[in-house]
Amino acid sequence: MSNAYLTYAAKRLGQAVVVILLAYVFTFVVVSILPGDPITSVLRNPQNGFSEQEIAEIIAAQGLDKPVPVQLWNALSGFLTGDLGMSMRSNRPVSTLIAEVLPSTLILAGAGLAVALVLAMLVAYGTRFVPKKYGQGLLRGFPSLFLSVPNFVIGLVLIHLFGFQLGLFRVINPDSFWATLFAAVALGIPVSAQIAEVLIANLDKEAEQEYATVARSRGIGQLKLFIRHLLKPASLPVVTVIALTIGELLGGSLITETVFGRTGVGSLVQRSVSTQDLPVLQAIVSLGAVVFVLVNLIADLLYPLLDPRVKILGGAKRRPTTTDEPSLGSAKAVNP
Amino acid sequence: MSFVSNSPLSGTANTGRLTALRMPATVALSFAIIAIILAWSLAPQFFTTYSPVVGVPADKFLGPSFSHWFGTDHLGRDLYARVVYGTASSVSSALVAVVIGVLFGGLIGLLAGFLGGWVDVVLARLVDVLLSIPKFLLAVIVVTAIGFETINAAIATGVSAVAFFARVTRSEVIKTRQATFVEASYLSGGSRWYILLRHVLPNASRSVLPLAVLQFGESILIIASLAFLGYGDPPPASDWGLLISIGKDYLKWPWLVYAPAFVTIVTVLSVNRISRWLRKTD
Repeated sequence: MSNAYLTYAAKRLGQAVVVILLAYVFTFVVVSILPGDPITSVLRNPQNGFSEQEIAEIIAAQGLDKPVPVQLWNALSGFLTGDLGMSMRSNRPVSTLIAEVLPSTLILAGAGLAVALVLAMLVAYGTRFVPKKYGQGLLRGFPSLFLSVPNFVIGLVLIHLFGFQLGLFRVINPDSFWATLFAAVALGIPVSAQIAEVLIANLDKEAEQEYATVARSRGIGQLKLFIRHLLKPASLPVVTVIALTIGELLGGSLITETVFGRTGVGSLVQRSVSTQDLPVLQAIVSLGAVVFVLVNLIADLLYPLLDPRVKILGGAKRRPTTTDEPSLGSAKAVNP
Repeated sequence: MSFVSNSPLSGTANTGRLTALRMPATVALSFAIIAIILAWSLAPQFFTTYSPVVGVPADKFLGPSFSHWFGTDHLGRDLYARVVYGTASSVSSALVAVVIGVLFGGLIGLLAGFLGGWVDVVLARLVDVLLSIPKFLLAVIVVTAIGFETINAAIATGVSAVAFFARVTRSEVIKTRQATFVEASYLSGGSRWYILLRHVLPNASRSVLPLAVLQFGESILIIASLAFLGYGDPPPASDWGLLISIGKDYLKWPWLVYAPAFVTIVTVLSVNRISRWLRKTD
């Protein structure tokens, strides 16, 4: 680990902390300053049956009578010490509410990511082996098709085909194996389309590099060329793409949980939105930002270690993307 | 995907003209589909004689047929009419989202890229923050804060796209600013604003256009998702996402889900195809 890497790592870490703090402030501003004042509209809603005294108590307990900057300061210092505040509706700590539903969402998101990876690899690597005549076009069309399908539609089609027609699972029992598997498939397909898009582009790019031509001229077979020369350089950038799709997985689980009737962070968001439980929403959104920033930080720190061709220049890192110029995979970059 | 225009079968006069425009047949088809969608949203009454709101209770849950192309729903309303009448709201809200994303994102990117210095640093942090919040969650809290209506869902979707356009515009502006012709313009006495409006803006906007088209498709999907969760206008509105959401309660009659889903997918596919073509012809 060189000195340049450590400087780069320290700089990225500092940036990540700043972004997380600012993201918290940003969500706070969105939920508390925008017009509409959801808080009083919920508390004064006659359906909820709060008396004037109770309303005053809730407002005092939440600190809503203080000026906004003071509220923000209290919320931010609570957030930094791990105190996410109290739910406005159920009178329980927000952290408890989230902890209850987190395992179910982690299982769903983890399984969804696994499905996405396997599917993306099958499709992308398939394009190198399926000849043009026998449906390579279909494989190449996979990303653009599934980036055009709303993800709740995938879930509904799966429920209709496998739940209703074939009777593999029942929506009434959302935590059974089959129901979880299909929920993961519904969540994973749009994400896999994104990963496959990058993988296919990378494979095409690597196959045109001079080292691939040299290898071919030596009479190397399609399979050997793929395994020895294309697989690794084309697949490594996916580390960064996976990190970017974490946001997609978090947002997608909100919808997938609704479609499949699962309880989880997504259904908690839904409930908090319909009851305007702002402390819960604020906590979940800022935790979402924390997860997203951390995962991307890890990917950024890991990447230069995985790919020796990536040079850290003055603390600014080359981000590997599909639009990257050939310097990333230049002729010198034959894998050892 | 250009295989169609190269194929030896394209001998008719029509495809000949398309080749002259260097437009693959799939792109032409996409434009045709978008034209139909736009016509639906501008003048829905010309495309169906049924009412999207009033149904015939005796005709409920009829399957797709010649008189009811997409079948009928649980109140006996013609689903095709509901899809056609829902188009205006689905399309215009996606348009609003794109305009918000491009205008605000473009402004941020333009200022950051052109002025540089501390403005760039401050705006870059702001963009980082917007990017750090998962897009859909960002749209959900914004729409929660400003209220459940389709127009607000569109605004929320636009806000979630601002960061992306800010990044793209900024990098385009920086790229153009360093070009030789911009330097020449400086040397021949062009002012900063003249260069910004005359050289930088047109060049940046050329590469933003395909992405704006792409964002239009994505906005349709996000707004449909928000409508599906019930954050848009309530029924009897018939936004595509809302129609699918209603249909999911009647999966025994699957066309209630499949028909509006099909229209949504075909529309977004066409939009994405056009965007890819624009990027390639650039």
